[in-house]
Amino acid sequence: MLNILVCVKQVPDVNLVKIDPETGSLIRKGVPAILNPYDENALEAAIRLKEHYGGTVTCITMGPDQAEEALRECLAAGADRAVLLSDRAFANADTLATSYVIASAARLLGYFDLIFCGKESLDGATGQMASQLAERFDASQLSCVAEILELDETARSITAKRVLENGTERTRASWPCLLTVEKTNYRPRIPNLKQWKASRKAEILRYTSRTIPGLDPEKIGDPGSPTKVPRTYPPQVGERGRMLCEESPEKTVKTLLGLLADVL
Amino acid sequence: MDKHSYHDMWVYVEHDGNSVQPVSLELCCEIRKLADVAGEKLWAVIVGELAKEELARVLDCGVDKLLIVRGEGWTPFSVDAYTQLFTELCREYRPSAVFVGGSIQGRDFAPRFACRLPTGCTSDATELVYDPKTGDIEFIEPAVGGKMMAVITVPEMRPQVGTIRPGTFRYSPTGPRCCETVYEERSFPLEKIRAEILDFAPDQEDDSLNLADAEVIVCIGNAVKAEALPRYRQLAQLLGGKLACTRPVFDRGLLPFKLVIGQSGAVVKPKLLFSFGVSGAVNHVTGLSDAGCIVAVNKDPDAAIFHYSDYGIVGDMDEICDLLLQQLEG
Amino acid sequence: MAYYNRLRPEDAEALKQRVGPGRFSAGDSVKEAYSHDEMPIYGRHRPEAVLQPVSTEEVAAIMQYCAAHTIPVTVRGAGTGLVGGCVPLCGGVVLSMEKMNRILSYDLNNLVVHTQPGVLLCDLAADALAHGLMYPPDPGEKTATVGGNVSTNAGGMRAVKYGVTRDYVLAMTVVLPSGEILKLGKTVCKTSSGYSLLHLMIGSEGTLGIITELTLKLIPKPLRDVSLILPFENIAKAIASVPAIKLANLDPQSIEFMERDIVDSSAAFTGTPVFPTVVNGKEAGAYILVTLVGDSETELSDKMDRLGAVAEAAGAYDTLVVWTDNLKKDVWAARSAFLTVIEAETRLLDEMDVVVPVDKIAPFLVYTHEEARQQGVRVRSFGHAGDGNLHIYCCSNDLEEDEFKRRVKRLMDACYAKCAEFEGQVSGEHSIGHAKKRYLRESVGETAYALMGAIKRVFDPDGILNPGKVCHEAEEGERC
Repeated sequence: MLNILVCVKQVPDVNLVKIDPETGSLIRKGVPAILNPYDENALEAAIRLKEHYGGTVTCITMGPDQAEEALRECLAAGADRAVLLSDRAFANADTLATSYVIASAARLLGYFDLIFCGKESLDGATGQMASQLAERFDASQLSCVAEILELDETARSITAKRVLENGTERTRASWPCLLTVEKTNYRPRIPNLKQWKASRKAEILRYTSRTIPGLDPEKIGDPGSPTKVPRTYPPQVGERGRMLCEESPEKTVKTLLGLLADVL
Repeated sequence: MDKHSYHDMWVYVEHDGNSVQPVSLELCCEIRKLADVAGEKLWAVIVGELAKEELARVLDCGVDKLLIVRGEGWTPFSVDAYTQLFTELCREYRPSAVFVGGSIQGRDFAPRFACRLPTGCTSDATELVYDPKTGDIEFIEPAVGGKMMAVITVPEMRPQVGTIRPGTFRYSPTGPRCCETVYEERSFPLEKIRAEILDFAPDQEDDSLNLADAEVIVCIGNAVKAEALPRYRQLAQLLGGKLACTRPVFDRGLLPFKLVIGQSGAVVKPKLLFSFGVSGAVNHVTGLSDAGCIVAVNKDPDAAIFHYSDYGIVGDMDEICDLLLQQLEG
Repeated sequence: MAYYNRLRPEDAEALKQRVGPGRFSAGDSVKEAYSHDEMPIYGRHRPEAVLQPVSTEEVAAIMQYCAAHTIPVTVRGAGTGLVGGCVPLCGGVVLSMEKMNRILSYDLNNLVVHTQPGVLLCDLAADALAHGLMYPPDPGEKTATVGGNVSTNAGGMRAVKYGVTRDYVLAMTVVLPSGEILKLGKTVCKTSSGYSLLHLMIGSEGTLGIITELTLKLIPKPLRDVSLILPFENIAKAIASVPAIKLANLDPQSIEFMERDIVDSSAAFTGTPVFPTVVNGKEAGAYILVTLVGDSETELSDKMDRLGAVAEAAGAYDTLVVWTDNLKKDVWAARSAFLTVIEAETRLLDEMDVVVPVDKIAPFLVYTHEEARQQGVRVRSFGHAGDGNLHIYCCSNDLEEDEFKRRVKRLMDACYAKCAEFEGQVSGEHSIGHAKKRYLRESVGETAYALMGAIKRVFDPDGILNPGKVCHEAEEGERC
């Protein structure tokens, strides 16, 4: 039976995040937390495989208690099982520490043939999780997948169409394999009432740093994260260009075209 | 870890056997400067054979040392082989930093060998600063959708690994230096490569999707109404230029990804660029740094884009576009 | 018959002084956009001058001058109308309210907002939400001005629960055609104090006075909401579910319907299919989109159960739950973009905005499709199933314009006659303008139409405000 893991993340909708003009810090208040949009595509790809070949889909995330909502969304869309890794000790983790915790917990859940994750997160946007999770799972790796073409359960391989910078590649990889998918062919579905209701009542498996056996405290959270963020600042911008404002837009455009005469 | 036992900065030179990826040359030029500030050497790591002329272009960036890997299992590229190769090379040679172009290949294997080592990996820095007090590199990159800049460091671990997007830095070779070459003979067992490429179909050449050489560009931002697209296309045509957009316009499904300007898309260098309804997030404007004259039109007088522009007009983008069409046609 | 004066150079100069050179244009420098709204098929008429006032006093000064010189004045919001309401049929001055776009203040004790009329609906809605409040009227065109919404008594998606714009206007400042400033209404919710001139102004399409300030009622925003999509085999089955939905004590915020055609067009145009077309192995022919609100998930869940049962009994293929922010954004963006999609893919376009009793929606649509087929005109439709308000767009990319107009006239004549037979209204929210005048007259009858004309003359004896609209007879281009 095909066993699929989908790694997801709850993120603030960064399009709605504003910067406090006085302090230069982020205003997160009132910004809704959403399931990372790329993760929705990953989930959709996983669920379609399950529908076609049978098997189970497990969703896992690391985050605060509220991240449960993102997992319920996955359950509504058709995931069978949801796992929340939540602990203060996990906070401030970079991708190295996060991938370590997720892979350690996943070992408690069984052996996964395929692992899916979003190509990047809306907030961190490093795009590193896929590679590092693949490393932690000792999996082969297929990024930029536009379409999954074939699954061979006997040979334990998966064939996919990848969209690269200058062309399209067909690649076959052995299981376990980690995949990131492109948006176009894997738009998220809308769950029906029955699925939605089940997702609201479903039990969510929870793990903390103490309930994952053998977890090395030096490899999780802040201590386990080699990258640090010593400071942030608002983007520095230069002076504004020359602002054109004549008495009518017609004249403004005329002035502009005059100024551009030697470039045009 | 004694980070002071790690020396010299590496750039992985990505190539297809014929030509070197421009991003690798851009990185060589930028890391040359960084290495000079740090008092370290610049190594170019090349896997496989490279034609003489191409090698000369790498050396022209002022490389101090060439590390050339020969052997079986490196072509075609595989994440499995290159992850193992860079893990081994880093353990043996102990570089202080490894820079990899942010191509799909680079983004696939660099974080992975960083994980195997393990060490810290950053992606998409737009500025690199060496801090002499700590000996660390500050990777400065846009965060939170470009609303903030974040400084990322790897204070305890070495090497410091970074992937850098194509076009972030300029190709500005300072000429060859006295360069030493080291050959590494090693191979990767083919049976350990777990992904097999069955075939590859190159994209049809579609010149309208190639922004890199466009002399004039009309770029539209998220404020664009779907039904207004044709008039911007028309303006681009009239100017003998190309239509482009920001990432959210692509996300809305209005234009293909190849037309996205910015950190995750194309870096452009037109003589003239019109920007309509673009807010000016850092992720986008990093793709404009080599543009000549920039004209921005936005209804919000406080839009950041005006700070990156030569000329700014506060107004209705569709109206200004129509007026440009009228006056250019007339 | 009214006779208007042309704008002489000295008039232009005098009017320019009333707003300043930056907010005045005349003659050739008048933008073409001011000569039509979003339905250019009803004809383009260029104003002789466009003024952009910023205050009630400026509007008053302009009206005084125009009244004294019998110059027609047509008020305009964002120009998103669909019946030519803001088009200056007889030339003269267009008063563009786009610069009177400030939200003035909130009174959080009485739950009202004071605003200028040129504020865009989307801006007002977002600003109110930032104050934890909701402005309930929600017309599809979010970039219309609130002044335009009041002038047309716009309804929108949430009318089934909250009512229409009229129900949220408590008070306003109006400049009469003479230039006199009048305050109508008070910040209270009840009145039994004489004829309601306030309500006469609402929906009067700029023919009685110029609205320069508004006091609008707000409500606390509902804590939670969910939208549900019910796919059906065809429009008749979809609409047949609506009475049962309304009877199920769900108090839905909106009940929208859409036919498969428009869903397909939207998916093809935007490249993002949002509504599923094959549900449980069956092709959907029409959809009902319901939004429920509540204070808690438990309350919503209970309502959703009841809706699910009603939907199943009505033959819905499934009940799909739009619960997450991502999905809500996608679904409502798709719904709001329908008109945009139609406009973008169509060269020749005309529309109807009739309201029929809910149980007549399906027969009316069936009739319309049959007539359209006979006339060889493509039809796209969607609208507010909860209140029987249908948006029916007649489209063609192949016909000659004159031929299109002839065919559409035959189609419309038949449809409006059918609408009258079904005891419906000519327009639910797009208004009359000059495009639907004839149908209004036929619908209300001569006595009522004459009363409307008489009221117009009381407010505007010289007929200088928005001539030729609603019930005012001025032929196109008429002047002295």
